[in-house]
Amino acid sequence: MTETLLSLISIFTGIIAANLFGYLKEKYTFGFTGNTLIGVFGSALFIKTFGRLGFSPWSIANKGNFDGLLLIINLLVSALGGILLLIFIKNIFNKMNK
Amino acid sequence: MEDMLFYDRLQFAFTITFHYIFPQLTMGLSLMIVYFKWKFLKTKVDKYNDAAKFFMKIFAVNFTMGVVTGIPMEFQFGTNWAKFSELTGGIIGQTLAMEGMFSFFLESSFLALFIFGEKLMGQKLHFLTGFFVFLGSWASGWFILSTNAWMQHPVGHEILDNGKFVLENFSALFTNPWLLPAFLHNQLASVVTSSFVVASIGAFYVLRNKQTEYGKLFLKTGVVFGFISSILVAFPTGDWNAKNVAKHQPATFAAMEGIFHTEEAGSEIVLIGQPNMVEKKLDNKIAVPNILSFLTYQEWHKQIPGIDQFEEENLPDNIPALYYSYHIMVGLGTIFIGVMALALFFLWRKKLHTIKPLLWTIMFLVPFPYIANLTGWYTAELGRQPYLVYGLLKTSEGISPTVSSGNTLFTLLGFVALYMLLGLLFLVLVGKTINEGPTPQTH
Repeated sequence: MTETLLSLISIFTGIIAANLFGYLKEKYTFGFTGNTLIGVFGSALFIKTFGRLGFSPWSIANKGNFDGLLLIINLLVSALGGILLLIFIKNIFNKMNK
Repeated sequence: MEDMLFYDRLQFAFTITFHYIFPQLTMGLSLMIVYFKWKFLKTKVDKYNDAAKFFMKIFAVNFTMGVVTGIPMEFQFGTNWAKFSELTGGIIGQTLAMEGMFSFFLESSFLALFIFGEKLMGQKLHFLTGFFVFLGSWASGWFILSTNAWMQHPVGHEILDNGKFVLENFSALFTNPWLLPAFLHNQLASVVTSSFVVASIGAFYVLRNKQTEYGKLFLKTGVVFGFISSILVAFPTGDWNAKNVAKHQPATFAAMEGIFHTEEAGSEIVLIGQPNMVEKKLDNKIAVPNILSFLTYQEWHKQIPGIDQFEEENLPDNIPALYYSYHIMVGLGTIFIGVMALALFFLWRKKLHTIKPLLWTIMFLVPFPYIANLTGWYTAELGRQPYLVYGLLKTSEGISPTVSSGNTLFTLLGFVALYMLLGLLFLVLVGKTINEGPTPQTH
C-alpha cells in the first residue's frame, strides 16, 4: 500500500530538483511551469527504468518492512532524473530552435 | 472484511475522482486545439495559431497532472485489488497495456514535438503533430472505456476452473455493444468540459478588458463547441447509453431512475424526489407519467421492472448515491444546454461580449461540467455494484485479502495530503498561464 505513496513522493522530488537546478543554472531553465512538467517526467522515467535495480517503491516497502536506505537512493535517482531530463530537453530545444 | 472493502473502495473512488479531473479536459481540449490549428492553416490569421499554442500549454499541464495521478491507479490494481487483477488480468491487462503502449506514447511524443518543434517542422507538420496528440488522447479514452465496457458487459471470455478469466475472442473487446455509446458519450462530455474552460477563459479576458481579441475568439469557439457537444451528449449518446443500461443492467436502470415499484401501465420519469430506503419510495416526488417508458422503448405503456422485481443481492448497494449521481448529471446537462443556447443566441446577435451577467455565468460555471462528468462516472460505477465484472465477479471478491483497512486508511490520508499539494501546484501553473495569456506571433 505504501508503494503508491512512495511513487508520488518520488515525483515530487523530481519536481523540486528540476526547479532548483533551473533556478541555480539559469541557462537550463524553462520557467516554473516547464521545469515542473519536465521534473515529473524525468523522475517517473528514471524510477520506472532504473527502479528495477532494487530501489523501486515495491522494494522499499518490502511487504511491510520499510527500507530507509533504498528510499534515499530512490529519491536521489528521482532528483537526478528531473535534472538530467531538464538538461537533455534544453539541449534538444536549443538545437531545434537554432 | 466489510471494513477492508469499504476503505479499498473509498481510496479508489478518491484517487480516480482526482485523476479524472485532468484527462476529461485534455481529451476535449485536444480536439479544440486541432480546430484552432486547422483554422490557422486555412485563414493564415495568426491569432488562431496563438490560441492553439496557448491551449497546448494548458493541455501540457493537465496531461502531466494526469500522468502523476494515474501512476497510483496502476499501483492500486496490484495493492488493493490484487484478487481482481489476478482473476481478470488476462482480459483487462490487454486493453490497459495497449493504452500505455499506444496512446500514452503517441500523446506524449507528439506533445513534445508540438510544443518545441514548430520552427523546425513548418506549419503543416505542426498541425499533424497536434492531430496525433488528439488521436493519442482519444485512443486512450477508447482503451480505458473498452476495459470498463468489459466490466459492465463482459464479452469474449472464458472462465477457467480456477476462476480466472481468459480471453477467447480479442476483437469482442472492441465490438462490445456497451463500448461505442459509452465512448461517444464520454468523449462528448469531455468536449463539454473543454468548451466551458475555453469559453470561461474568454469571458475572463473580456470582463478584465485585457487580451480582448483573444477573449472574443475563445468565447465564440467555446460557445459553438459547447452548444453542439451539450446537445450531442444528451441525444443521441446519452439516450443510447440509458437504453443499454435498461437492456443489460435492468436493476441498475430501476435504481438510477428511482423506480421502486413496477407500474403496470408505463413508467413515469422522476424530475425531483428523494429516495426513502426505509419505506422503499421517493419522497416529495415531482414526476411526469409514462415519459420514461416512451423515452426508453418508444411505447407509452411499456412496463419497466422496478426495484421490487429484483433480488436484494443483485441490486446496487447504494441506491441513493446512484440516484443522486444520475440526476445531478442529467440536471447539469440540461443547464448546460440552456446556458449555451442563450450564449449562442447573443453570439449570433453579436452582443455576447457586452452582456456581463452572461459572461460572469459562463465564467463561474466552469466547475460544473467537471461535476457532471464525475457524477456520470459515479452513475456507471455505482450502477455496476455489487459487481466488479457485472453478474460474474462481486466487488468483495476482488480485494486484496492481506491488506488491512488501517493500512488503506493511512495511505488514503497520505493521498489526500499529496493531492492537495498537487492541486495547489496545478492551480498555480494554470493560473499563471491564463494570467500571461496567449503570446502573439512574432515574424
